[in-house]
Amino acid sequence: MQLVDKIRSGLAVAVAKTTVTIIRGLGLGAGSVLPGKIALLLHPRLLSLLFQQLKFGSILIVGTNGKTTTSLLLRSMLESSGSDRRIVHNATGANLINGLVTALLENTNAIGQLEADRAILEVDENVLPLVLQECQPEFIVALNLFRDQLDRYGEVDTISQRWQKAIAPLPKDTKIILNADDPTLCYLGQKLSQKVLYFGLNEPELYLDEIPHAVDSIYCPNCGNLLNYQGVYLSHLGDYSCPKCYFAKSKPAFESKDYPQILIGVYNKYNTLAAALVAREIGIETEDILTAIKNFRAAFGRAEELTVEGKKVRILLSKNPVGMNETIRAVNAIQKNTQSSVTLLVLNDRTPDGTDVSWIWDVDTEQLIGLNGTIVVSGDRVYDMALRLEYSRQNKDSDGFELIVQENLNQAIATALAQTPPRETLHILPTYSAMLEVRQILTGRKIL
Amino acid sequence: MELKIGWLYPNLMSTYGDRGNVICLQRRCQWRKIEVSIVRLDRLADASQFDLVDLIVGGGAQDRQQEIVMRDLQGAKAEAFKKKIESGTPGVFTCGSPQLLGKYYEPALGQRIEGLGLLDLYSKHPGLDAKRCIGNLVFELTASKIARELSANLNSKPIAIGFENHGGRTYLGDVEPLGRVIKGYGNNGEDGTEGAFYCNAIATYSHGPLLPKNPFIADWLIQTALQEKYRESISLSKLEDSLASSARKAMLQRLELAS
Repeated sequence: MQLVDKIRSGLAVAVAKTTVTIIRGLGLGAGSVLPGKIALLLHPRLLSLLFQQLKFGSILIVGTNGKTTTSLLLRSMLESSGSDRRIVHNATGANLINGLVTALLENTNAIGQLEADRAILEVDENVLPLVLQECQPEFIVALNLFRDQLDRYGEVDTISQRWQKAIAPLPKDTKIILNADDPTLCYLGQKLSQKVLYFGLNEPELYLDEIPHAVDSIYCPNCGNLLNYQGVYLSHLGDYSCPKCYFAKSKPAFESKDYPQILIGVYNKYNTLAAALVAREIGIETEDILTAIKNFRAAFGRAEELTVEGKKVRILLSKNPVGMNETIRAVNAIQKNTQSSVTLLVLNDRTPDGTDVSWIWDVDTEQLIGLNGTIVVSGDRVYDMALRLEYSRQNKDSDGFELIVQENLNQAIATALAQTPPRETLHILPTYSAMLEVRQILTGRKIL
Repeated sequence: MELKIGWLYPNLMSTYGDRGNVICLQRRCQWRKIEVSIVRLDRLADASQFDLVDLIVGGGAQDRQQEIVMRDLQGAKAEAFKKKIESGTPGVFTCGSPQLLGKYYEPALGQRIEGLGLLDLYSKHPGLDAKRCIGNLVFELTASKIARELSANLNSKPIAIGFENHGGRTYLGDVEPLGRVIKGYGNNGEDGTEGAFYCNAIATYSHGPLLPKNPFIADWLIQTALQEKYRESISLSKLEDSLASSARKAMLQRLELAS
């Protein structure tokens, strides 16, 4: 590093660190974005300079759903083995450039040097190509690609093409970890010259009865023919092959039953497998991987469990059709065995949620009716969510379904808690910004 | 009474919750005890299935999917579809599907995609650097036939509320615009027009989806479909639409358009 560069990056780091202290000191939140923004203004190449200082390099985790949970689990695996003591991790889920810089800055010393061995960073799918211009990671983990926030991102195919272009020039020993059950990602892997390893499910007893409506990639990414699915685990993830061309699912590195899953839901099986595969490649012992799985506690808002006023609350972030279908599936599996159920849905349409809420019509909310329970709705777009549920009802007179509409989130939470019988669990399904609000109301602390 | 809804390529053309339009029509029939069924007009369907339906719904597609649709919707199938629309069968085509019904679409990259030529309009992408038209969309329905019939039912101007998200701009030739933009971009962000109306077919960039928040358009489609089918005047029973009214009011207030 040139001397001037060193001074400049040292200054950028110092200012940013002061910002973190001020934000936290004033109780304004965790300060997970703003410091990075300021530091980048002072030194545009800061990200690349910071990445270069990591002893064991970095692991980037991308995908529409599951980034936060997978990166937290992987971190737990590395920590449980004791192999890495100092890990940089954007645990709050701030996964745009500013968030990455902030996470790295947190681990710098007074003169701006990074004191860390490895970084585990979840990266926004759109930002990955930019990040790869600044760093050469040791691992890239791609979990899945679903339809999400089309107002911001465009199409699944476009994203995968951009990833391919960005990954292609990386060194050949970069390890790419991909979900074999996702045709788009599997095809991406087959075209890369780096070392590609796959994870995937081989548990046909988990097949869905039919392919859900909210699917994107049931067409062959190579020739465009309809793919032949032996079975679907969730959305378009499954066992498939193309009847017309050579394209078929690549073989996963190990049997999916080798590892038990964390939390609830089939989607968390995938997150577990992805983290386990990376940990194995790093050389973590199976015993340590299993310990981390057993002791895992949810990331905030991702199947996170809280106790509020003596009642159990489970917050399940639901920000796109596939994610919400899967959380509904998991909630239904739990509530089937209970006397009555209460679910709170909170729909916001701010920038982090996506300003277009039409995606809720791709969710199979019909599955929520018929649980013989109460649903409370709230959020910026409370009436849109209420309408979606109203139109999920074929027989309004006889379905025994109760819908409570409450604009005010505080009141909605109070009502939902009051309606939840003792010893039962209130399930809350919020969009991203709504999840932050819900947590703030329930725990009294804000994440910036 | 029985209503058969034809759903154009449910898997390929359903990007922005457009299925909501089908669900809305289906439920509003069921709640009124009108027998309703859905015919999937996908790649497996042949031309004769177009003849069976009383109402056609089409949504938006991603580029690759749109190409697959265009390759499939040709020959006898395209003819059956055109004949159906020109004989007065109502339809609602949202997002990308108006581009499909028009003369052609010029994407930002790649070749011009020929449309069905049913509507005298063309669409053009101004280039990858141009801003997409994204946001909440409010427009008044002005196409003479539908505006007249809706105004009579509503006792007020028919105002539609939706959401638009399109890169392409649409320019109308000899075809009536569906409406006049009050808030948003509409067809091209320049001339204030939104969508197109032809025979009894509605083409619009507005998704959201369109019908649940504009139930009067859903009912117009159902009523028109039944009248065309049974060749008699039909009036629909009124449904309880307070949630839709609240959703409309909330959005108009947010956009500072509430009266």
